[in-house]
Amino acid sequence: MAKTIKWETKMDVALARAKAENKHILLDFFNPG
Amino acid sequence: MDAVTYPNENVIEFIQKNMIPLRVAFDAQPLATEFNLKWTPTLIVLDADGKEHQRTVGFFPPDELIPSLLLGIAKSYFDRERFSEALSTLDKLIKDYPNSDSVPEALYLQGVSKFKSTHNPKPLKEAYEQLQAKYPSSEWTKRAYPYRLL
Repeated sequence: MAKTIKWETKMDVALARAKAENKHILLDFFNPG
Repeated sequence: MDAVTYPNENVIEFIQKNMIPLRVAFDAQPLATEFNLKWTPTLIVLDADGKEHQRTVGFFPPDELIPSLLLGIAKSYFDRERFSEALSTLDKLIKDYPNSDSVPEALYLQGVSKFKSTHNPKPLKEAYEQLQAKYPSSEWTKRAYPYRLL
């Protein structure tokens, strides 16, 4: 299976993970078309 | 981004290892309003408190996205006066992606970070000299122009 980016979709989840994992967040606003 | 950049193995590895990827539609509320979203793709680097440190608009190829994200991470450290971490991130960007469009700004920020952490003006002049030698037409060379006099 091809590797893909595992995107979060909720800001609160991303913030909690960023704090727990000591990482920055990449927030991508996209056009789903 | 979906067709070229995000499927790239190096991009996947970098993002999964170094960042928390969060993707939302351009019209998703309340985030679109909170971040004053006007166009896509818009990529924003946030710290773990949700504070914005870098914003880019438009497409990035794989070999430019990673150094751009490193620059965003370095700016986050710089903004919070964590100069040692800013400098190590900038060093990695400059060393690993020497041909990137992000390098001139990284050189500028490297000089400023060294100055802010030591209060020695010499790194500012060195930043200008590097920029002038390697990127004479860069906007960052113009911004560093006053440092030639230090």
